Amino acid sequence: MSSTGKLFRTRHIYDLSKTDDLFVSSVRETCNFCYRGCSDYKRILDEAGFSPDDINTMDDLADLPFIPTLYFKHHTLTSVPERKLFIKATSSGTSGTMSRIGFDLKSLLTGAHMVINVGRYHKLWSIKPTNYIIFGYQPTKTNKTAFSKTAYGFTFFAPAKSRTFALEMTGSGYKLNWDRVLKAMERCARSKFPMRTIGFPAYTYFLLKDMKAKGIRYKMPKGSMITMGGGWKQFYTEQPDKKEFYRLVKEVLDIDEDHIIEFFGAVEHPILYTDCRCHHFHVPAYGRVIIRDPDTMRPVENGKIGLVNLITPMVRSTPVVSVMTDDLGVLHDGPCSCGAKSPWLEIIGRVGVADIVTCAAGGEEYLKEGS
Amino acid sequence: MILYNGKIYGTEMQQELLERLPGDLDEFLKTDTKLDTEDVITACDTLAARVKNGDFDDTVKPFLETFGVSKKQFDDLLYLFSRDGLQKKIQTELPDGEEIIDNFKRTRYPLGILLHIAAGNLDVLPAYSVTEGLLAGNINILKLPMGDSGLSVKLLSEMIDICPSLAPFIYVFDVPSTETESIMKLADLSDGIAVWGGDAAISAARHFAGVNTKIIAWGHKLSFAYCEPDCTDDELRELAKGICMSNQTLCSSCQGIFLDTDSDEEADSFGERFFEIFTEVNASSRPADYGMRAKNAINIYNERLEQHDTKSRIFSRDGISVIVRRDSGLELSYMYRSVWVKKLPMDKIHLLHKNKGHLQTASVLTADPEKKKKISRILANTGVVRITSPGNMSRTVPGEAHDGTYALREYSRIVETEFY
Repeated sequence: MSSTGKLFRTRHIYDLSKTDDLFVSSVRETCNFCYRGCSDYKRILDEAGFSPDDINTMDDLADLPFIPTLYFKHHTLTSVPERKLFIKATSSGTSGTMSRIGFDLKSLLTGAHMVINVGRYHKLWSIKPTNYIIFGYQPTKTNKTAFSKTAYGFTFFAPAKSRTFALEMTGSGYKLNWDRVLKAMERCARSKFPMRTIGFPAYTYFLLKDMKAKGIRYKMPKGSMITMGGGWKQFYTEQPDKKEFYRLVKEVLDIDEDHIIEFFGAVEHPILYTDCRCHHFHVPAYGRVIIRDPDTMRPVENGKIGLVNLITPMVRSTPVVSVMTDDLGVLHDGPCSCGAKSPWLEIIGRVGVADIVTCAAGGEEYLKEGS
Repeated sequence: MILYNGKIYGTEMQQELLERLPGDLDEFLKTDTKLDTEDVITACDTLAARVKNGDFDDTVKPFLETFGVSKKQFDDLLYLFSRDGLQKKIQTELPDGEEIIDNFKRTRYPLGILLHIAAGNLDVLPAYSVTEGLLAGNINILKLPMGDSGLSVKLLSEMIDICPSLAPFIYVFDVPSTETESIMKLADLSDGIAVWGGDAAISAARHFAGVNTKIIAWGHKLSFAYCEPDCTDDELRELAKGICMSNQTLCSSCQGIFLDTDSDEEADSFGERFFEIFTEVNASSRPADYGMRAKNAINIYNERLEQHDTKSRIFSRDGISVIVRRDSGLELSYMYRSVWVKKLPMDKIHLLHKNKGHLQTASVLTADPEKKKKISRILANTGVVRITSPGNMSRTVPGEAHDGTYALREYSRIVETEFY
């Protein structure tokens, strides 16, 4: 079995020291595969004077040239023939341009082991039929965003009794159907089966705030869960304090804090970061995080802010082995009272400026973009 | 918050007041009341003096901090609102008194009712736009920008407190841009629309205004420097200072440098020369915003990955960069201390005309006064409206033209009456 195959089968998901060696050999393996299969990736490594075989220790990962997510928005990079791409996913495209990432079957099967292990650790698997409310779109043939696929995928952690999608396709694009969601909530509250919501945290928050303002209160069945992913994106400035959010969930739906789970991941780094009961995104065995100083691009010590560089050997069909996100973050050292030993990643926000003040032509639009 | 004929109302009253407005304006127009410019000047002058005395420090200090505005620069800005500054503006922008030509009396009148659609990029801008409308004698309706801090209503109601005669000339609404029906009604009432913002805002205003409504567009612009290879290091230093100070966010900020050459090698060595000076000036300036440095770090890294294709030459250090590009087009830079350098021989400057409507300031850097004159003339013919020394690209003085015209004239009309 390949190193990557072994790595993704590990059950020590939050004890990185147990997988460091395996991680290094897996990255070398995937990097070599992409280097041979993707001429653009080969050029990037060659120009940096870096060979995949230079990856021998954890420290070497910092020297592996990373690719910014920005680059994937303008260039399609693949290391397997087009016909082998089982899924072609795009990022949610908040800023208008989208990354296109292709997954071959092998990469997807590798990821499936991760989903099984993470789901088991975080007790996401259940045999109880569940009513799902999805703050996203119903996957269609034309909708290739990773979010719609992931959200749909999440409805398989527990058998779906029903699925309600908050965004519906209308003649003029997607529209948020609050009424439908509210009606579904009411049905869920009366059901004896648990409810799970899945979606962007901003939508979840806005809906709950709206319900609170309307005086709506439900007691959701035992085992109900709020799961969120995709980040706050353009609603970043409206992000509430986490504690305030948990209080709101308790007040409106009577769901406890330990049943609120947030995920972090990106189409360019499809690793499932799941928050622990202390709401920390611990780095799982399948990925590593390097925080870099923007002025020098060198790694900074844990606890310091910088650009978030994510590394995983999961995908071999597209060279996303080391990607630079347009997020700023901090890697905090464990241990955490949840018991996980690995450091945890805190996303501070997008690069750029929060308050856009410019009258240079085109400047406003440019500054609003992710990068 | 809504300001309506001198009274402040909560947003819940918006619909009712919007419905009342046409009738109230009709009633007021019937009274044939003329706004005394002297009242507007007194209100501004008194308010400016109070700002100078620190009465508004709670609002002013964070503003100065955010934009790195020095005490001197702020005093210069306040001077624009002083009696002296405003009188100079009126003298420059508006023709004196009445003129009689061939049995015709020629008199300046206000345009009438002026709708201001202000941009949210500068807190004081909406109130400033209304003040200009008042100086020309108009009734002003202001549509607040999204996320307005409440400063506009505060400043304008303070002015009304000082000179109550201004009250029936000022109406401020908080209508969101998405409520096109309400905005169209306001536009229908108005003789002119002063719209501030990017291309999208201007285009939206053109879309909802009737053909019988004048549009005065204060759009976003691009500015640049034009250099001869013989320019001095001192000139380049002044240019770099302006770039560090404004972080290239203003219409008048230098986005990049055109060099009078058609040689890539000369452009490369000029890029390197400017980068050294830029680095030195940056080191003694307030550091650029961390988030923007991070954004640019990714952009520059990405530029390097694409270099095999673009053939750009990239110089970067300490969060600043100079990118020598191979084309000759005017474009926005990455801003926040990232400058492009492009070759543009003097006989090709006229090609910038394709950026019509977006051209604003150009500084000309050369040691040869004759060349400076010639380049300035070509730039002006091409559509540039301000030609300055490298250190003065973003200066403000009373009575200066705005994007090639005088605001007060745009907000006025000339009426000719025959004696018979």
